Amino acid sequence: MAAMAKISEEQALVERFRRGDDSAFDRIVERHAAEIAALANRLLGWPGDVDDVVQDVFVSAFLGLKRFRGECRLRTWLFTITVNKCRSHRFRRRRLRPVTMEEAQAVESPDRAGDQAAMDEETFARVRRAVHVLPQKYREVVILRYLQGLEVAEMGELLNMTVNSVQVRLNRARRRLREQLGDLLEEKS
Amino acid sequence: MNEEQIKTLLQKADAAAGKPVFRRVTAAEIRRRLRRRWLARISVPVSAAAVALLATTLSIICMRAQKPEPQPQQIASLEVQVRQLQAQTDATLRLVREVLERDRQDRRLAALEAELASIPDPMREIDAQVDKTAFLRIYQADRLYKESNQTESAVEAYKEVIQLFPKNRWADVARERLSEIEHRQINKSDTKGETKCEPQNV
Repeated sequence: MAAMAKISEEQALVERFRRGDDSAFDRIVERHAAEIAALANRLLGWPGDVDDVVQDVFVSAFLGLKRFRGECRLRTWLFTITVNKCRSHRFRRRRLRPVTMEEAQAVESPDRAGDQAAMDEETFARVRRAVHVLPQKYREVVILRYLQGLEVAEMGELLNMTVNSVQVRLNRARRRLREQLGDLLEEKS
Repeated sequence: MNEEQIKTLLQKADAAAGKPVFRRVTAAEIRRRLRRRWLARISVPVSAAAVALLATTLSIICMRAQKPEPQPQQIASLEVQVRQLQAQTDATLRLVREVLERDRQDRRLAALEAELASIPDPMREIDAQVDKTAFLRIYQADRLYKESNQTESAVEAYKEVIQLFPKNRWADVARERLSEIEHRQINKSDTKGETKCEPQNV
């Protein structure tokens, strides 16, 4: 019921924006900006500063919101824009500065020295690097599923894929991560 | 190692990275940003068009400055020059026409002279005919006198030649014949004798 109420509230905001009420758009931004920024931050490899991408996402949303038909949740629609913007951003950045061998190898060279906090930080950095060096198609499904908490069906809608394809892609992504982070996962178990 | 472990590890790593930094986004800010983007998009072609227009205007102004408007005095001077040139042209054309006419006349005269040269001289023809007629008459008279012994007819013929062609050489011959006939008649009355007479220059 709460979800249904949320959807109808989002639809009302979209309708208000269509009628020219800019405050409705501000309300939408207020609701989703943090999530959009988090998704962009993860998809781009946790750079920390994702202002450009967030701005681009909301500019595109501002321009396209009048054409939003409400066939999916507004959050899913905003996530789709974010994924596309991050793809473009990474593509542009990779053209300027491709991922170096050192970056990729750093995933497999854990430094166990130092105190526990430092070791944890290094471990988490290694995990993030492992996600970062995954191929784009695997990185997206891993982030959307485990960090954004999307359902597989919603992911299929967002990535324009069938549920089975999303499942297959998730399995392959997990296998890659196990290959990279197997020692960490065994330790934890 | 299950899906939950991966999820937990990823969430911890994500949380450790901290929250991303971004500016607050508002509709008004987006509108301003879109306006700036639109201005940036149109500013280049508009600037280019303005520069092109300015360059064209400047070039037109420069071209006009290089070519000042003609003054009335200059127009009058130009008209005088045109008239002089026209007069020179007319004189030259007249001269050319005269030369051509003279050449045509010369050629016509030469043709007529050639034609005239081909025509025989009528006076000579007449003289030749006169000479021939006189000779024939003298010849007939000689035959009458010498072969037919018709002296009177011969004398008449000689006299006729002298009368008709007094300046011809055959008139002299006729006179000699008459003189001979007179001498012979005189001598005949004294002694009988004959003298032969033959035409000359036949």
